[in-house]
Amino acid sequence: MTVKIRFFARFRELLGTDIITDVAAGTNFTSLIVTMAKKNPEGYAAIFDEKGAFREYVILMKNGKRIDIADAATTPVADNDEIAVFPPVAGG
Amino acid sequence: MMFSESERERYRRQMMLFGDEGQERLKKAHIFIAGAGGLGSPVSIYLAVAGIGTITIVDMDVVDQTNLNRQILHCDRDIGRKKTTSAKEKLQAINPDITVNAIDVKIDETNADDLVGEAHGIVDAMDNYPTRYLLNNAAIAKGIPLFHGGIRGFYGQATTIVPGTTPCLKCIFPKSPPKEVFPVVGVTAGFIGMVQANEVIKFLLGIGELLTGRLLIWDGMQAHAEEICVERNPACSACGSMVKKTTAGKKR
Repeated sequence: MTVKIRFFARFRELLGTDIITDVAAGTNFTSLIVTMAKKNPEGYAAIFDEKGAFREYVILMKNGKRIDIADAATTPVADNDEIAVFPPVAGG
Repeated sequence: MMFSESERERYRRQMMLFGDEGQERLKKAHIFIAGAGGLGSPVSIYLAVAGIGTITIVDMDVVDQTNLNRQILHCDRDIGRKKTTSAKEKLQAINPDITVNAIDVKIDETNADDLVGEAHGIVDAMDNYPTRYLLNNAAIAKGIPLFHGGIRGFYGQATTIVPGTTPCLKCIFPKSPPKEVFPVVGVTAGFIGMVQANEVIKFLLGIGELLTGRLLIWDGMQAHAEEICVERNPACSACGSMVKKTTAGKKR
């Protein structure tokens, strides 16, 4: 099955965006993002902490609906899902 | 409310859009702008020229040369001066018919509500989330909108928060990102600041569709804007206890 991953802002600079990828059935949200983020160590470090957990301020969405970071590892992705990952933009 | 001949001339081209009544609404309005920096500069300049009757702008900093690529309220000769002094001088020069209160203070939990006072709306032109959360709390406590904006590099975001109706800032961004010296180009501040100022004007006039329940995300590198729908968090620590309003108060 195929999913689309959209990174925003700083994450986009480091990892690109609108990445369409094939995933195995049963893949969960966290493992998908880990796989994508590992393509750039700096991108990975922007999203995950030293223990491999999502940084607390990262916002995750699946088809326009918020996914809580705590639920990401148990949330499966489905065919044609659109996944968005973004940081709060803080400057002013 | 009467307009002077000078005011009628000044606002002639926009009174073609919303008439005496609309201009009067702007003149009677009081908007609180938190920050006289990258976002606060374009927001305050455009609200001043539009004729917002009272603008309160708050900042605790002194103009630094590194501010000048984006903080267009301040000039080279202002380096070392208080941003509030510089802001008041420029805004009054741009439009002497409005009242500008410039307050040189750090916004904290003890003074946020008092600073906002009787303002009809709060513009978030801050550079950090802890202070944004204080503005969010003040907006919720007073039941007035918070016009949020954030920028970094060529990226920006904006949304309009109407307490009790839309998600609040904490619903959308529950945790603040770490503080950093963020890279930024002035045009990003200008772009997002214009979205915020446009929202303020529409809100005060009670026209158009506000950027509510939607987070606008701007990617200047791609020249692409998109929206993400955002929802209230019933368990939100800031607004979770507020009863949902059935009608959005479009007109104040």
